[in-house]
Amino acid sequence: MKLYTSLIYRELKLTRKRFLLMLILFLLLSLMMMTPLILVFISKPAKGEESPLEMIPLFVGIVALTGGFMAGTNNGLQKADISSGWKRYSFVLPPTAKQQALSDLLLKLGYILFFGLLSAAFELVYTAAADYNKFGNKLYIYMLNIFLGAVCVVMLVDIAYSYIMMFAKDKNQLKIIGVIAFLGAGVILRVAGIFFNVKTPEQPADGDTLISDETINRFEAVLLSGKTSLCIFAVFAVICTVYFLAMWRSHERREP
Amino acid sequence: MTEYENAIEIKGVTKYYDGFTLDNISFDVPKGCIMGFIGQNGAGKTTTIRSLLRITDINSGEIRLLGLDHIKDETAIKKRIAVVFDELPFHDVFNARDMARIFEGMYPEWDNAAYMQYIERFQLPVKKKIGQFSKGMKMKLQIACALSHNAELLVMDEATTGLDPVVRDEILHIFMEYLQNGERSILMSSHITSDLEKIADMVTFIDKGKILLTGYKDEIIEQHGILKCDKDKIQEIDAEDIVSVRTNNFGAEVMVHDRENASYKYRDCVIDPASLDDIMLYYVHRDMKEWS
Repeated sequence: MKLYTSLIYRELKLTRKRFLLMLILFLLLSLMMMTPLILVFISKPAKGEESPLEMIPLFVGIVALTGGFMAGTNNGLQKADISSGWKRYSFVLPPTAKQQALSDLLLKLGYILFFGLLSAAFELVYTAAADYNKFGNKLYIYMLNIFLGAVCVVMLVDIAYSYIMMFAKDKNQLKIIGVIAFLGAGVILRVAGIFFNVKTPEQPADGDTLISDETINRFEAVLLSGKTSLCIFAVFAVICTVYFLAMWRSHERREP
Repeated sequence: MTEYENAIEIKGVTKYYDGFTLDNISFDVPKGCIMGFIGQNGAGKTTTIRSLLRITDINSGEIRLLGLDHIKDETAIKKRIAVVFDELPFHDVFNARDMARIFEGMYPEWDNAAYMQYIERFQLPVKKKIGQFSKGMKMKLQIACALSHNAELLVMDEATTGLDPVVRDEILHIFMEYLQNGERSILMSSHITSDLEKIADMVTFIDKGKILLTGYKDEIIEQHGILKCDKDKIQEIDAEDIVSVRTNNFGAEVMVHDRENASYKYRDCVIDPASLDDIMLYYVHRDMKEWS
């Protein structure tokens, strides 16, 4: 336990600045998403009139999505460890690769829990203030699905990035690998765009809209389903395992 | 805890790189001893140290630290050794107190009181960020961390390089204190041979990935000598007595590896004692035989 306290203390201290920046951005965005509430108080729409409160699910989704991205994103620890020489030094320290990987995972889970709770708190305040309870728990499921979905996607990118990072042993190699990773990500996105035939603004779907109402409804139904939550939880568990294994491999890999 | 005779045993270690090979090297560091590991830049000192610390994997050979296998017993070994690199591997955002918090969970025998004593002795600020430390302060902090968990073996890779003579002397003095109970050992790589002449009991000399000399420092210094003669006299000296010959405008200086024997054989020549620096210099040029 003392060992993990030490390892996590080090990692927390190193990622503190990045975390604070993300927290500020998140809070700013959350405040911005409160505008419909403020507008309702100012304009007081008449009965039957389209209320800004109709936008609440969208804004809850945006906040959850942002929280998920911030929680799952790379925390820059590996890069900092390579630059400072700590990565090399860690080979001569008693913690094993497995213990270090577990500490990395615990930190990541800590961030996920923190931003998850923050997103949930935002939704709680939002729905309470707007008396927006017609969805009941559905809105929480919706938020959870978006949040964890975003976490999974970003963690996948992080795993790939961390795996590539493993091959860098000093600052110079770090720069080269960073550029390769950036270009590689661009190529992958481009290929994925061709493969999944993503529609560009020049190719509208039905009528003049990019996405049809039917698609939106279907997407909404998926996001509001408890089954989706179970699936995302399963995927999340798998991704956490893969993350742990990638970190383990990264800590275990010796210099050539 | 295992009983052991040699703190480090390296047997037939080979490590291949593109353009460099650590070639079947073997040497021991007896318990309670300071071993100076010398050689010019690129000779293989750092590769040897990285191999024995398992920062890099070796291609063949066997390494034992504190009587334990360096791969099989890696975790057990790492609790009982300390390493000091030429550059401080700690993040700039930390301070001396943070480092104590980090290490106290990692080392079962971490001694906070000993650490704070070293910090005080080195006059290091506790709350100042490491990024604002001078080179000497950084090295002192690294040494304070290395000496505060009762390590039985201290491995140092060019730890005194880049430090001024006052700081170097202070650090060497601390190493001597550290060794006083006879249970601890030090492997210290350096190309500053004057430091090693001050404190090392033994010396291992590596060049181009091969061990050229290993043994007690005093014996090595005693055995070698610099024979001074005229250039035309060189022909009379047996090739097998010569390490290499340095020529200048006034004559020649010949490094002999058996000073006693040479003083009998070449009675008309003056043989001066050699320093570690001289020995290193003449051995580095051994393939040229004659150099200036």
